[in-house]
Amino acid sequence: MIEVQGLSRRYGSRLAVDDVSFRVEPGQIVGFLGPNGAGKTTTLRMVTGYLAPTSGEIRIDGIDALTNSMQARDRLGYMPEGVPLYKEMRVVEYLRHRGALKNVTDVSEAVDRALDLAGVADAKRRIIAQLSKGYRQRVGLAEALLADPPILILDEPTSGLDPNQVRHFRDLIRNFAGQKTVLLSTHILSEVEAVCDRVIIIREGKKVADLVPADSETSLEDVFAELTAAESTEVVS
Amino acid sequence: MKSAWVIFRRELGSFFVSPLAYVVLTAWLVWNGVVFWVLTEFYARNAVASGAASPLSAFFGGSSLFFIPILVFVPILTMRLVAGEKQAGTIEPLMTAPVSEAAIIVGKYCAALVMWSALWLPTVIYAYIMSQHGSVDWGAVRSSYFGILMLGAYFMAVGLLMSTVAPNQIIAAVLAFVALGVLFTVGIGEFVFDGAVREVCSYVSMWGHMQSFAKGVVDTRHLVFDLSVTALAVGLSIAVLQSRRHL
Repeated sequence: MIEVQGLSRRYGSRLAVDDVSFRVEPGQIVGFLGPNGAGKTTTLRMVTGYLAPTSGEIRIDGIDALTNSMQARDRLGYMPEGVPLYKEMRVVEYLRHRGALKNVTDVSEAVDRALDLAGVADAKRRIIAQLSKGYRQRVGLAEALLADPPILILDEPTSGLDPNQVRHFRDLIRNFAGQKTVLLSTHILSEVEAVCDRVIIIREGKKVADLVPADSETSLEDVFAELTAAESTEVVS
Repeated sequence: MKSAWVIFRRELGSFFVSPLAYVVLTAWLVWNGVVFWVLTEFYARNAVASGAASPLSAFFGGSSLFFIPILVFVPILTMRLVAGEKQAGTIEPLMTAPVSEAAIIVGKYCAALVMWSALWLPTVIYAYIMSQHGSVDWGAVRSSYFGILMLGAYFMAVGLLMSTVAPNQIIAAVLAFVALGVLFTVGIGEFVFDGAVREVCSYVSMWGHMQSFAKGVVDTRHLVFDLSVTALAVGLSIAVLQSRRHL
């Protein structure tokens, strides 16, 4: 379960996230939607502990993520935007390293399981620098799944994947329904409709909608356009 | 501290699979080989000069030839430590894993110390060569290496701090070069000034530091200085890394 209460973040004088509150129930898959620069990545970075909020509260499975950051981080699998990896390492070496860092008890078993789940078992001996973007993305996913965390935070997980990989990824995420709590950011509307139980839309750092796509009478595309159109295409700094 | 060990292992592993490691090691050994050869030639031809010093004690800090490469190589070794992670973005998975900033910094610092030792290890052969052609004061050799280790301890800590502060590797290298260059230059004040200023300068002096160790004198004043700078720079690195979350 993820509980976020009154979360704000300032970069200098610019307010990137403004008083955002939401809840993701256990086993729920929630899409975090917004135009570029709306504050999606900043919010996810605060939830994962990478950034400290300017104000607000974050609870991960009831643990205060600001005062008990380590315990909170233990329960999270995180795939950052752009999937940064140590390029000089082999896939399996990287995952073993991350497994050791995350205090996984049986590292080699966990690595094999994560490789299979993410569909990168065939590339496990390859050097990351030589992998295609789609494969790197899957290595990032394998890394997030490594410690079998109850909560997954995925920042634009399908960017750079080909249609088959996107489908594989969606099937994988859908399989987590009821088992893992998933918060994923994206700006691909069809993705949200395909995998998410609920969608949170933010715009200019503020939450503007929290809805269940299946219940909505108008299409998600119309809802999104209506809620975010005012600032047209660009709002950066 | 288990996570510090995991960080340490990866840091060293990635250093020794990078071409950088071998370029640095080769360039370093070529430079020091030439220096050692020039010094032995010099002492062989100048009987008067060889009265007091020996090629080995001159090699270990008796000449500026010792310090010039250090001031260049240390920043190259330390620039990647944290700044490299920032540049590659890998700092994000690192700092969202359940690891403390202290474990990250300590792991990286220890890896840097091993890199420093790897630079110096092959030079033991110079002492061996000398022992085949004359007498070698092994006590002085031991204290020289101990001095190098202590000097390295604080150089690596300063380099690490600069790498933690800098946004990318180039700036990290330049900052470390400037910081060490300033410390080196202040130390030279030992031979320039008088009175209290001279005292301060000699306390900082890398030159005086290595000269006394090369003679076999282990001066606790130097050790206290080395260890305090190390502790300060490592502590500051941890604090800087922690404060990053708030930027």
